[in-house]
Parts: sequence; structure tokens; C-alpha cells
Amino acid sequence: MRKELPDWLKTAMPETAAAPKAIARTAREQAETLGLPGLRDEEWRWTNLRAIQRGEFTAPTGVGADIEPSVRLPLDNPLRLRFIDGVFEGVPNDVPEGLTLTALPDADEDTRQAAFSPTPAPSVENPNDALVTLNTAMAREGVVIDVAANAVIDRPIVVEWLDGATESVMSHPRVLVRLGQSSSATLIEHIETVGEQPSWRNSVIVSTIAANAVLTHIALGLDGARRLATERTFVSLERDARYHSHNVQLGGQMIRREYDIHVGGSGAHVDLIGLMMPRGKQVLDTHTRITHAAADTTSNEHYRTIADDAGRGIFKGRILIEEDAQRIQAYQSSNNLILSDNAEIDAKPELEIYADDVSCSHGATIGRLDEEALFYLRSRGLQLDEARGLLIAGFAQEVIDEIPLVELRDWLTERVEQRLGDRDTAGNETA
Amino acid sequence: MALLEIKNLHAVIDGKEILKGINLTINAGEVHAIMGPNGSGKSTLCHVLGGRDGYEVTEGTITFDGHDLLEMETEERAVAGMLLGFQHPVEIPGVKNIYLLKEALNAKREAQGLDEVDTFTFMKQVRELVASMDMDDAFLHRGVNAGFSGGEKKRNEILQMLLLEPKLALLDETDSGLDIDALKVVSEGINRMRGEERGIILVTHYQRLLNYVEPDFVHVLYKGKIIKSGDKSLAHRLEAEGYQEILEEAS
Repeated sequence: MRKELPDWLKTAMPETAAAPKAIARTAREQAETLGLPGLRDEEWRWTNLRAIQRGEFTAPTGVGADIEPSVRLPLDNPLRLRFIDGVFEGVPNDVPEGLTLTALPDADEDTRQAAFSPTPAPSVENPNDALVTLNTAMAREGVVIDVAANAVIDRPIVVEWLDGATESVMSHPRVLVRLGQSSSATLIEHIETVGEQPSWRNSVIVSTIAANAVLTHIALGLDGARRLATERTFVSLERDARYHSHNVQLGGQMIRREYDIHVGGSGAHVDLIGLMMPRGKQVLDTHTRITHAAADTTSNEHYRTIADDAGRGIFKGRILIEEDAQRIQAYQSSNNLILSDNAEIDAKPELEIYADDVSCSHGATIGRLDEEALFYLRSRGLQLDEARGLLIAGFAQEVIDEIPLVELRDWLTERVEQRLGDRDTAGNETA
Repeated sequence: MALLEIKNLHAVIDGKEILKGINLTINAGEVHAIMGPNGSGKSTLCHVLGGRDGYEVTEGTITFDGHDLLEMETEERAVAGMLLGFQHPVEIPGVKNIYLLKEALNAKREAQGLDEVDTFTFMKQVRELVASMDMDDAFLHRGVNAGFSGGEKKRNEILQMLLLEPKLALLDETDSGLDIDALKVVSEGINRMRGEERGIILVTHYQRLLNYVEPDFVHVLYKGKIIKSGDKSLAHRLEAEGYQEILEEAS
């Protein structure tokens, strides 16, 4: 059963939202009906929102402090779009040709309409849409990223979600990304907690990729012990469009990330690559839903989870192939590594196929480190700890290697290695 | 002092005794072939020598280069100079070959009290070895054995040996499943390793390898015991007459 919207959340509903008035009003009503998802909702079996329910979060007051992320990503001249506790600090002034950045409240009615009209449209029937509906009702901040037709934006566009700057703050930012025909751009979400404070960010990204355009979207969730986040990304692709997604989650108390990908034009292709590394008591959860609505489309999904301590990793990947969508190739794999007796991983592939000419496969594995491989490395003189570390890092590396930005890839490799180096191997020794 | 001395070795796996009193002495400079039918204990012997978990030695001793081998961890055996060539080399995608080679070499050097190898010397040596094994440089940046063919995996085992220069090379069915070209390259590699300082044990099911690497001694392992030892002519007899004749003769 869904949980009623807590009072603190009801009273926090803003008078004015970024969504067009009619949309915001409807969303407010629906949000109250929908409440928050509970464990009995099928999509939320493994992840509970108790920490949010009890959190008594308040809307950001706009601290405006000049807070910087703790790390600088190795990116070439990035366009930084900084959100401190969900408050957008404004568009940079050196925006290259072909790119238009607009603070969401400043955007025209049509644009705001688009930002709040994703495909598929959220439904009051679907408990899973409670959070996106809540975002629609509450969003006041956001940014619109428009890439003109044929424009090639070399500079990575980095949305920095810097959470936890003030105490118990919640935010509901909305981002719209529109790629014109044959354009290309790289969107990076740099996610981290900048303070010790608990925080909850319920963010939504709506993106549309026009014919023959390419969007590379990298999400990097870095450490943050008290970060709660519910993140949803909508992507719709036209003919021959491509969407490459890399989702790396290394920290946070409870992170639920969802992708809804609508492959709506023939020749379009989607890559969804992910790495989650929960440890401590972290819950890192990704749900993906790919809808092949057009013929001759392809998708390739590869997720890996490494769960340590009492960490929990959750991956659910749904692939829906509609009746008229023939000649589809859709591959999904989910490989998972459990490093400790108290860690848990839930992996669930879901295929729904209504077309008949389809090549589709999925597979999920959950296991411990391969004893055979450990023995092999030790027989070459490597110490047990080193051999274990190498195998774990190697497991992660296979998905990191898919990231197209070389410097970022190397940086992430090092970051993951450091992170693994920190682990108390002796304490996690398995029998 | 013998390089390897196995005395009355008994070993058990899952409560079942597989090795039932093996005696074997190997000196530096010698190449020994251990032959035997399936299930005779060949792989068990290799695993026990390599220090693999799950095998219990119930009786006997193994001395390697003056050390009590059974007291040593797998990695200690390796850095002390014993290298096991796997029958089925393990695929480890995500760990690059070049990285494993360097870590393995440095582990050995550290045990010898030497500094880490300098990158230039290392790369030069590795490239030469790669060429000598008729392999492509690109393989160095691929995952260990990941997606390799059977022949490539075995070449990789020999390449590691040539780099790590063990005192004792223990090759478990290195020749199984190789086509003739790969067998030649692998054999050449093994022959290059032959030397005064080094012992080599070839564990094999087939006599074919011994046409390319000529052993000094041949042992027949059967039901967990060495039932007959001889020179290379024993291998030829096995090929010509099959195991049955020799088994009957020995019993």
C-alpha cells in the first residue's frame, strides 16, 4: 500500500511552481492521491522510503553560498550548471554556439509545458509515478538545455547536484534536455553531498533526442553518507537517434534512480551501462524501462553491482517490445558480486514482447569472487588481498571501460580502486 | 639437494583418497613427464603442488628447494620459484595481461629483495617474449585470457613462465587441445626454458608433446601411484602399446 503524503510534505507545496499552472494544479491533486510508494508496491519491494517519510525535509531557502564540489572532474572546459540543495545558481555566460541554456522559471510556456510532459506521461494509476508527480507539483528550480540542429557541443554539460549544504533540505528540480536533429552533446550529472546534513533530492530529467542526434549521459553519484535521492530520467528517441547512458553510483544512503526510455523511431539505439557499489548500509537502486515502440531499433544494457558490508544493490530492468516493433535486438545483462555475508543484491530482468521478429536476451548472475580466478592470481605470486582487490576492480573496470571520455574513465578507475583499497578486507573475509 | 622431493604423498578430496603414496625426486636441469590415463591423479598432484584449497594431504612430505612446501601458501610457492601452468587457464576480464605480468614479476622480485622492475626494461622484455610466442602486442592490453582461444591461453601460460623464470615449471596438460602450430610454439617455449637451473614437469595425457620436448624421465601415474618410471622410451611404449600393457606388467 502506498503511504499517505506526510503532512510536512503537504504543507510544503508551493504556491507557484515552475510547471504551467494547470499542470501544477493537477499534479498537486494527484500527488496527494498518490502519496509515497510503499513496500507493497511492486516497483518498491526492495527499497523503502521510510527515511524520506520520517525526514521532515523542508524546501531550500536558497543559501546561495559559494559551495564547490569536493572533486573536480577531469573534463575539458566543462559548462557547469550548479544546483546547491536543488537551487540553480544560474546559467554560465560563455555558452557556445548551438547551445541555449535557460533557467526553467524563465523559459516560455511551451518549453515549460515540454519539461513537464515526458513520455510516457505519468499516471495517477501508477504508484511508481508518485515521485515524478510530486516533482511536477513542487519543482521551482531547473534548467533547460537546448542543442540546435546539427550542433556538435564538444564541451561537456555538467549538472552538479550538490546536496546537503543545509540541514534536512529537500529539492525537486526539473531539467529539460532537447537535442535538435543530427546534433550531439554530453550531459554529465556530478552528484555529491557537500555537507554532513541529511538531504533528499527528487529530481527529474526529461530529454528528447531528435532524428540522428546523439546524447551521451553520464551520472556519477559520489560519496555522501546521508544523501537520499529519487532520480528519474525520461528519454525519447526519434529515428536514428542514439542515447548512451552510464550510471555510476558509488555512494548515498538511499539512491533510487529510474530510466524510462522510449525508443520511438526506427534505427534508434540505446546503451544503458551501470555500476553500483553499495557498502555500509547504503541502498543503491536502479530501475530501467526501455520501450521499443519502433521497428529496427536496438538496445544494449549492462549493469554491475558490487555489494559490500551490509550494502544493498537493486537492479530491475524491463524491456517492452511493442506489437509493431519488428526486427528488434535487445540485450540485457546484470552481473553482481557480493563481498560480504550481510550484503544483498536483488536483480530482476523483465521482458515483455509483443512482436514476433525479435532477438532478445537477458541474463543475471549473482556471486562471490571466483575461487578459481583467485587461485590463478595467487599462483602467480599475488597476495590474497591483492588478488581479491584485483578481481573486484577488474569486475568494475569492465563497465567503466565503456565510458567514452578517456580522462573521466581513468579518473573513475582510480577512484574505484581507492575505494576498494579502503575496504577492510580482513573484516569481510568470507568463510 | 633435489629441487623437488615428494615422499609417500597421500591426498584426499571430498573424503576420497586420490593420491596413494607418490614418491618423486626432481633435480634442477631435468625434464620429467608424468603420464597417466584419466582419473589417475595427475591434476590432483598438480593442485596439491600448487596449494589449491580443498585438497587434504593426509600423509607424506614435499620439499621444494629446501622448503617444506606444504607449509607454504600458494603465493609463497610462486615467489619461491614454483610456477603452475594451468590445464584450463582462468579468464579474468577486467584485469589486463600487462598488469598481471608486472605484478607477478614484482612479487617475485620483492621476495628476492630486488626493486620493482623499471617500466622500460619490462616492456622491452615483454614485447620480445610476446613476439617469440607468436602473439600480438594487443593481447597485453586485453583482459587475462579473456576471450582467448585454447591455444592462446596456453601460449599465455608459457609467456608468463618465460618472464617469471621459475625454478620449477609444472605444466598441467599444457598440450591438450592444441593444434599443431600452437603445439610447436608452446614446445619451443618450453625448450627455451630448459636449463641447468630449472626443473620442468610435464603432466600430460598424450605422448605427442614429448615428440617436441624430449623428457629425461617418464613416469606413469595410475590410481594415485607412480607404477613405472623410465626414460623417454617408456613414452613411446605407452603410445605404441597403450596403458593396459604397462599396467599389467607393473602389477
